[in-house]
Amino acid sequence: MTTFKYVLRDMGRLVVNHWILGMLTLITAAVMLWILGITTLFSLNVENLLSRLESELTIQAYVKKGSDVERVSQQIQALESVYSLKAYSPAESLSRLQEKMGSQSRALDLMGDNPIPWNFEIHVKEAGQVEPLVSRLTAMPEIEDVVYAGMVVRRISALSKVASHVALIMFVLSVVITALVVYNTIHISLYSRREEIGIMYLVGATRTYIATPFVLEGTLLAFLGALVAVGGIVLTYFPGIALLQANLPFLSSSLIGDTHIIGRFCFLLAGFGATLGWVCSYIVVARFMHSVTRPE
Amino acid sequence: MKIVFSGVSKVFDPDIVALRDITLKINKGEFVYVIGATGSGKSTLLRLITRELLPSRGMVAVGSVDLRGMRRADIPYYRRDVGLVAQDFKLIPTLTVYENIAFVMEAMAVPSKIVSYRTNEVIEQVGLWRRRFMKPAQLSGGEQQRVAIARALANSPSLFIADEPTGNLDYRTAADVMKILFAINAAGVTVVMSTHNQNIVNASRQRVIELAEGRLVRDEASGGYFD
Repeated sequence: MTTFKYVLRDMGRLVVNHWILGMLTLITAAVMLWILGITTLFSLNVENLLSRLESELTIQAYVKKGSDVERVSQQIQALESVYSLKAYSPAESLSRLQEKMGSQSRALDLMGDNPIPWNFEIHVKEAGQVEPLVSRLTAMPEIEDVVYAGMVVRRISALSKVASHVALIMFVLSVVITALVVYNTIHISLYSRREEIGIMYLVGATRTYIATPFVLEGTLLAFLGALVAVGGIVLTYFPGIALLQANLPFLSSSLIGDTHIIGRFCFLLAGFGATLGWVCSYIVVARFMHSVTRPE
Repeated sequence: MKIVFSGVSKVFDPDIVALRDITLKINKGEFVYVIGATGSGKSTLLRLITRELLPSRGMVAVGSVDLRGMRRADIPYYRRDVGLVAQDFKLIPTLTVYENIAFVMEAMAVPSKIVSYRTNEVIEQVGLWRRRFMKPAQLSGGEQQRVAIARALANSPSLFIADEPTGNLDYRTAADVMKILFAINAAGVTVVMSTHNQNIVNASRQRVIELAEGRLVRDEASGGYFD
């Protein structure tokens, strides 16, 4: 406890003595973590929107007359990418079609006998699985025809890939830049006190005692940067969501606006900032202390 | 604390021989001067005792511990029993006199009340009470050296290493510093001091170890500078 008190005091001295450098680190960490947070939220929203669209994507597979519907249903259900499958009899299909056509359903009477065969409405897990599944269905001898929104599927699938790649690149960039900034700050802080550190070691201070204030300084700066980033996210994300909801109401159900979820996300971001600061500081301090305290 | 050098050589890269085959023994409670020209190996000998350096050959033992086998994690604990005073004082410039001295005890997790009591005690002992809240840069060379001595005294060490402690000081100030060192020795602490100061060595007639080009050329029980 006594040691902890001294170490905390020494960390305070470090922060005060290098306050300009500390402020620069804090601001850079805050900006990078804000970008990281906003990018992650953007990507989560896109993911949410795409999953909604994907869940609405259906494949309609029509069975040849005279085929064993039950057997074909089991064969399709056994396919890995099939999320759900529902079979519709010709009568059910006609009634659904009439429902969809509403007042124009009388036109169907002109067709005479019901021409719609048994068919399956199939849902997949991801948009990217639609086309391979369609190929497999088309190859089945019992399937007469397969109908699906090909262009929409390709676009959603491409958009999903782009969104994940952009989010990943932004994530990696933000983490690397924040890590580098914290690393360099602590390195400069250590280097400027190289002689003092040597003296401390010479008069009996352990490496842990000398190093801990530096590790705490890096952790504190990154944590404070993360708190500022969290403030920035709260101030920019909710107004942004409100603006989107007002202008693009069809997106409303896909946007993450739950304060509980965002609160949790911010908590994680602050923790991530502190952890990143701790890891970077620990690495630089450990390397530095090893070189400074090595006997010749 | 007894010190033993047995066949010790120290070679720095590239092939600079600082010490050659030194064998000597310093008994507990002795006061020993290490003399010799610049580059004769005095500081290297002292730095081997403080475990800043490792011998290239031979063995250095302090007390019952062979310093060659000491783990790096144990070095700080060993140094807490070794008071060190250097010619360039080695004070932390951002800390006050009080903080510089208190630091060595804080690093040992000594409770703050004891730190405060002991720090004030040693500050008084070296006569710097009115300077205790000043930074090293605000003090004269002699005062800085007294801070370094006070810091070395704070942990009540059993061994005191002084590397040219009077090197930057005028005669009067040097005499003050020597009075403090003799008082420390009188309390039973082993003192090993390197110096160029003939007057000091000649005046006190203690044991003298003389080095020349890294070799031990004289070891006299009660010698002078040029004996």
